[in-house]
Amino acid sequence: MKKLAREVSVIGVGMHKCGKFLDKDLKDLSQVAIWNAIHDAGIDAKRIEAAYFSNALAGLITGQESVRGQVYLRASGFEGIPIVNVEGACASGTIALREAMIAVASGLYDVVLAVGAEKLYMDDTASSIRALATNTDIDIGAGIGFQFTGYYAMSLRKYMKEYAWTQQHFARVASKNKTNGSLNPYAQYQKPMSVEEILNSRVVAWPLTLYMCSTMADGAAAAIVCAKDVANKISNQKPINLAACALRSGEVTGDDDGQKHVARDAYNMAGLGPEDIEVAEVHDAMAPGEMFRIEKLGFGSAEEVARGVDNGDFTLSGRLPVNTSGGLAARGHPIGATGLAQVAEIVWQLRGEGEKRQVKGRNSEHPRVGLTQNSGGHVEGSHAALSVTILTR
Amino acid sequence: MTDVLLKEGLFHVPESPDDMPYLIGSRCRVCEYTTFPRKKVCIRCLRDDTMEEIGLGRHGKLETFAIMRVGPPEFTLPYAVGYVRTDEGVRVFSQLTGFEMDDDALDLGEEMELVIDTVRKNEKGENVIGWKFRPVGRKSP
Repeated sequence: MKKLAREVSVIGVGMHKCGKFLDKDLKDLSQVAIWNAIHDAGIDAKRIEAAYFSNALAGLITGQESVRGQVYLRASGFEGIPIVNVEGACASGTIALREAMIAVASGLYDVVLAVGAEKLYMDDTASSIRALATNTDIDIGAGIGFQFTGYYAMSLRKYMKEYAWTQQHFARVASKNKTNGSLNPYAQYQKPMSVEEILNSRVVAWPLTLYMCSTMADGAAAAIVCAKDVANKISNQKPINLAACALRSGEVTGDDDGQKHVARDAYNMAGLGPEDIEVAEVHDAMAPGEMFRIEKLGFGSAEEVARGVDNGDFTLSGRLPVNTSGGLAARGHPIGATGLAQVAEIVWQLRGEGEKRQVKGRNSEHPRVGLTQNSGGHVEGSHAALSVTILTR
Repeated sequence: MTDVLLKEGLFHVPESPDDMPYLIGSRCRVCEYTTFPRKKVCIRCLRDDTMEEIGLGRHGKLETFAIMRVGPPEFTLPYAVGYVRTDEGVRVFSQLTGFEMDDDALDLGEEMELVIDTVRKNEKGENVIGWKFRPVGRKSP
């Protein structure tokens, strides 16, 4: 992989709160996130030259299968500019960001919008559940009982056997993330929860209990991506560098570790390593998944990750704060928006705008380097789409 | 009750008592990469002229499993799922059967064998027939 032809920055981010909003549709959710990002960047919206719209399931849930972005973004004021629809299950948002990055780096545009929105809560819950199951190869996945709770449970069971990870560790991670979510005004779940409450909740797929798992969510997130050499001319916001945004598809033929490969791609692209990362948002559709993400990203061996959980290494005041937003299980997991919600959180942390959940940098008041990891779907034993993004200031 | 196949071309249903079930996969003549479901192209060689269809998956070892206690209405709860590494080296996602649905019922690494069984109902209420793995040498509950 070669380097980008031009450096790229994120100059604005915005979100719509995650949660259950029966009175709002994808136009409403997108509009709030997009215009929050525009105001955050402080730019004239007419500077936006193209948009990448990410959504996973609106086709099945609302029936709007085609031209989603073109339909939904009109409500935010966009017509005429190219609008590209992006889908990659839970990784859709990062794929949209990456396409926006490539579009700017190519020199074709200076300012591009990446926006993700998802609407899962509808009157018909069964159709939402059926739609969620389609992020697998439906012939050999959902059609025979594959569910993501099971996928995480099966992975965790192997770690429990090989590395003495325990259900106590998993509940501690979930509890830590609920605490972080309680400090995030955009989070779906804003109530702290004890380790005991989490362990005592209903078993979904052992070792997972109900309060370790993400639920359905509505929400949206957006980022304004800009050429670095243009950023200071159009925005007063301190630009955050998009140092890397790497994407791979599932791998099962080699050493079966696409998650490590995509992290390596991102570190190479940024010229950084895991030791440089000061804050991370990782993909924890079930909170304990945070532990194997931390391992695959190179932050420590499986044994070290378990000790880190015991020592509080990944809390807001720990060695490497992880999922300061609350992560997928507490902030919420509006599928097509999730990757961009992770990016918004890291941008806020690097700028020092994390409010009650702001973490400290290692050698400065606020962190200088943050990472997001976002995976989507499932094919033949691997995630279908795997991504890692690195942001710096 | 009518039974319908999950999908044609994925597995062989025994036609007589001495016939055995198997999964329909393929293997590369050059690098021996083996895959299920069958493919016309070898992912490893990235060539379209080396793959041969083979039957596989009669036996394997359990890599990991989970007992699903929540799920879509077409599935009878609880049900078990797992990854089985077949003797041919292919990792197959499958439902598991032939034991009590306890969270610690199986040992990782346990020997498993392929069976043909109902995997769920369809929207018409018909049984959908697919494959499952069961532990070898246990009495069914």
